[in-house]
Amino acid sequence: MHQKPDIVEILRRTNSGEYCAVKEWDVKRIPRTVRAMLKKYGLEKVLNPEEPVNTDMELADTFFKAGFELALELGMLCEPTERIVKISEDELRSTLKHAPSQLELGFGKDKRVMKSRTPSDPYPMMFGASLGITISEDVWPYYIEGIVRQKEVDLLEGGSLVSVFGLDVMPGTPSETLLGYVQGRRHRELRKQGGREGMPGIGNISAVTEFGQFCYGTKGGFYNNDLSLILFPSELKVNNQTLHKVVHTLAMDGLVFAGSPAMIGGMPGPAEGAVLSCIACALLQYAVLQASVGGGEIYDIRYLSNVNREGLWALSATHQALSRNTHILTHGIANEVSGPGTEEFLYEILVGVAVIAASGASFSTGPRAAGGKLQDYITPLECRFCAEVGHAASGMDLAKVAELAKHFLPKYEAKIKDPDIGKPIQEVWDLRNFKPTPEYHAIYQRVKQEAIDFGVPMDPF
Amino acid sequence: MSAEYLDKLQAAILEGEEDDAAQAARDALEAGIAPIQLINDGIQKPLEKIGKDFENGECFLPELILSGDAARAATDIIMPKLTAGERADGLHGTAVIGVVSGDLHDIGKNIVGAFLAAQGLKVIDLGCDVSPKRFVDTVAEQQARFIVISTLLTTSRPFYRQIVDTLKARGLRDKTYVLVGGGPVTPAWAREVGADAYGRDAKDAVACCRELLTSGVQSPLAEPLIVNALQSKA
Repeated sequence: MHQKPDIVEILRRTNSGEYCAVKEWDVKRIPRTVRAMLKKYGLEKVLNPEEPVNTDMELADTFFKAGFELALELGMLCEPTERIVKISEDELRSTLKHAPSQLELGFGKDKRVMKSRTPSDPYPMMFGASLGITISEDVWPYYIEGIVRQKEVDLLEGGSLVSVFGLDVMPGTPSETLLGYVQGRRHRELRKQGGREGMPGIGNISAVTEFGQFCYGTKGGFYNNDLSLILFPSELKVNNQTLHKVVHTLAMDGLVFAGSPAMIGGMPGPAEGAVLSCIACALLQYAVLQASVGGGEIYDIRYLSNVNREGLWALSATHQALSRNTHILTHGIANEVSGPGTEEFLYEILVGVAVIAASGASFSTGPRAAGGKLQDYITPLECRFCAEVGHAASGMDLAKVAELAKHFLPKYEAKIKDPDIGKPIQEVWDLRNFKPTPEYHAIYQRVKQEAIDFGVPMDPF
Repeated sequence: MSAEYLDKLQAAILEGEEDDAAQAARDALEAGIAPIQLINDGIQKPLEKIGKDFENGECFLPELILSGDAARAATDIIMPKLTAGERADGLHGTAVIGVVSGDLHDIGKNIVGAFLAAQGLKVIDLGCDVSPKRFVDTVAEQQARFIVISTLLTTSRPFYRQIVDTLKARGLRDKTYVLVGGGPVTPAWAREVGADAYGRDAKDAVACCRELLTSGVQSPLAEPLIVNALQSKA
């Protein structure tokens, strides 16, 4: 019998669960419970930075057991009511048992099938582009159509519009509602204009609050078999914005794509703690947020990146744990810090996306050009490269991917703290003709050839 | 003699024990240890250590926050005992800090708040999802010397401009230094919204406050003070 709590029951628990002040939750309850669980399962200090990709599947399975227990022990805190939404073991097991193991997304010739995967699974990890890098209004349609034209990219997601009709978008105000409807409508139009009308989408990357999400599943906006992006505020916490989006998405018969990064160095402590927290979040979001897809994002709080050694290891262990022990459709992000026009950016993509794909994630989105800090610093070329790597590295042996990480990390890791931000799209991409400048294309070809020479089975040019 | 009291205060801060830190501060003052020595050796030193440990991945955010709280508890007791001259050398006044509307990511703001409080500022933490009106109302009520604005979301950045514009409209802009930071915030953005200072992390925020107070420069500054900036073109 299916025992997953429905959204009404979840909303009830947000007002009736155990009281816990947010600060108590953040600085005491999470760290203490994570520490206890790491100790109980012998998972303290198992990371060796010399080995930035986990290849020990027994260790991955132990992480899963500990993460599952952590999910039951903690639950998720509802920030505004300061009540803990607990999920019982029967409910969690039932939820995971009944979670979808594959989804058909998009329609017609452009349809894609997202499937549950295991490490080194030859079925390709799907890739969606890009993250919410802010894009100026005049550039945005050319950038979006540029992504659509990259046939390797499976799903269309972003970037984020900063204004509509010249009006600055202010989250939580009517300008955000307007932005949502404009973005939903334009996403449909630009998918068609780029020759892929049925390309699956993710909406709405620009929606900070629930107001920007009203465009999901409504007339003329994002389709209800696009994924409805619902981020929670931080690991193991939900709030009203998150729950508004869930209620709306379910009312539209849509697909909840949930997630939020666990932080290495944050509340769960070291990389090992972040892995546990990330696994617990991934599992809980299927029960609490009624997710169809999502879970598995981890960043290092010091750099807001994860293409460093600790981040890569944590990503690998998390996705191996989840993909070997459940059939949920997990999602990972490689959080790059360098920018367009630089070799380092492409190396970061190569290593980060390959690790996620070979570790068994069902899909990934990206890239996070220049750490996502700078307006117009991203191009469709990197989106394409991400997808190429994601597809090609899916079936690679984990030991080979571990070698790949060790080989390419030295090409960028010294610059992670002070990365080269590169150049804005206007300087490295021909917006009207949808192609990179010859200089940037040459860099892309060089890095891609290095990847092929190393053994990443990408199609030649 | 004084080493024993200083050790106790340092230990309480490193362990993040707020009550113990306050008691250690009281005991040390009663034992006749100079308040300025307590600030410099009893509070600053352990905070510097925990800051370095955090950067090196040897301690984590909960410890950082709890140590900041403990330091603030001790500072509250010691600050009134400083002479006017000593107070002028440290950070003083009120800082209103928060994450702008629409954004609920509070980790960076918490770190900055803890560091500023530990340096002697009275920190009014408004939390997350703070409207421009609430920021400015609080600045007016508290006669705050600093307003410290944070976000992790590029899409929430326009609120920075609205806060600065509201300060101007209410005649408060020349009474308050505006400090900006957060993941997607750059020196260029600080210039664009008319902020007084930009910092990339908590140490930068402390350095900015110190520089602004020491120099006594009138707000608003024509060009924001940039500490540890990103590449200049950003």
